[in-house]
Amino acid sequence: MSEIPENLSYTKEHEWVSLQEDGNAKVGITDHAQDALSDVVFVELPDIGLEISKGDTMAVAESVKAASDIYAPVSGKIISVNTKLEESPELINESPYDFGWMVVIEPNEELENLLDSNSYREIID
Amino acid sequence: MMSLNQTPLFNHHKESGAKIVDFAGWEMPIQYTSILSEHKSVRENVGIFDVSHMGQIFIQGKETVAFLSYVTTWDMSRQKKGDCRYCHILNKDGTIIDDTIVYTLSDDNYMLVPNASRVDKIYDWLLSNSSDFDVSLENLSNDYFCLALQGPDAPRLLGQHLNTTVGSFQLVTFDKTIVSGTGYTGEKGCEIIGPLSEVIDHWEALVEMGAVPIGLGARDTLRLEKGYLLSGQDFNGSQTTIETGYSWVIDWNHDFIGKDALLDIKKRHYSKLRGILIEDRGIIRPGNSVFYQGEKVSSLTSGTLSPSIRKGIGMAYLDLDIGESVTVEVRGNHLNGRVVRMPFL
Repeated sequence: MSEIPENLSYTKEHEWVSLQEDGNAKVGITDHAQDALSDVVFVELPDIGLEISKGDTMAVAESVKAASDIYAPVSGKIISVNTKLEESPELINESPYDFGWMVVIEPNEELENLLDSNSYREIID
Repeated sequence: MMSLNQTPLFNHHKESGAKIVDFAGWEMPIQYTSILSEHKSVRENVGIFDVSHMGQIFIQGKETVAFLSYVTTWDMSRQKKGDCRYCHILNKDGTIIDDTIVYTLSDDNYMLVPNASRVDKIYDWLLSNSSDFDVSLENLSNDYFCLALQGPDAPRLLGQHLNTTVGSFQLVTFDKTIVSGTGYTGEKGCEIIGPLSEVIDHWEALVEMGAVPIGLGARDTLRLEKGYLLSGQDFNGSQTTIETGYSWVIDWNHDFIGKDALLDIKKRHYSKLRGILIEDRGIIRPGNSVFYQGEKVSSLTSGTLSPSIRKGIGMAYLDLDIGESVTVEVRGNHLNGRVVRMPFL
């Protein structure tokens, strides 16, 4: 059974979003997504400063077998990326909601159409 | 919709949490736990693969040796009872229909193991070329299992399980069960082939002894590190044995289907299947474009991250020497690599 923390928001594409106190959005992939991908062995992250639109591919997580696009859950600017993932992509498997975070976005719009933990669970069950 | 085949171990695979995929018309486990850990188990300990989707075609009769020498790249008169031989089965134009292992069970009783996706094609091909030979063919692919036991600890487990040993490319038989010193991982080990009804007992006993179940995902990374060909991918009907770099499977001192065409191709200029080792971070996949001096020259037939050396490895048909620098395009980025001699590991 996948872990789905109640304090986070989710997308249908299996990303989690954590709204920070400063209004920025921290993003990663869910426990369900990392389990489906299996061993993540390579992560491609965007450049800091990149302007992205909601729905854009902003990162890629790859397992031995497959590459999985990570979409922007909100439009805005990339202000931070988890560079630890370059050397240790397995952090996404080991700690998807914590050490395995991927990017922080400074949104230029309201966060909309995100799912709460119950709605997300309905999608994956 | 065509229903997919399952091996008798399908429920074992499901119950152990394996992810199942459609492979050549079979519902097979792609991984049980993780490709990386399964890969490591085979390189360092011992793994067990259910490869019961592979074919078993039996050939009997007075002219079996002459027939098999005609339809494969190898001269079977050089085989002795108890020998196994890896070789290719070619079309008249020299292109590879499939690669296979031929088992010499006795002087006039042979078994041939084709890949799952090629069983019917190979059986039909053999039949259609057998009319001039005193042989009988039987396709028992649906009656036989095949388990591969691979890894440094495989000989010990085989000894405990069946009280036997088997040399590389040798075989021993127990009634209808055949144990051969063959595999697709480059490690020590064997493949066990026998009547389908016995597969569960073998599987359960070997897993109980510590053999780790391995899926098709790790099977692919293990074989690619050793530069072994994948049927339908590294050759797909349009390449000859010479181009794959496997000329050592050809015995030129005998006549076989495709020989004349191969001799013609040898005189010409041709590309060869080469290894590509990636120096940049990133994972290459089958189909990615290969560039030399800025121009696209080929596409990868195979590509993955090598779990052992942690670098991207792949194969492509190239008209380039070992050591040349190339790039492989992945999502618009060019990853630096070079042409290397295989195996990678």
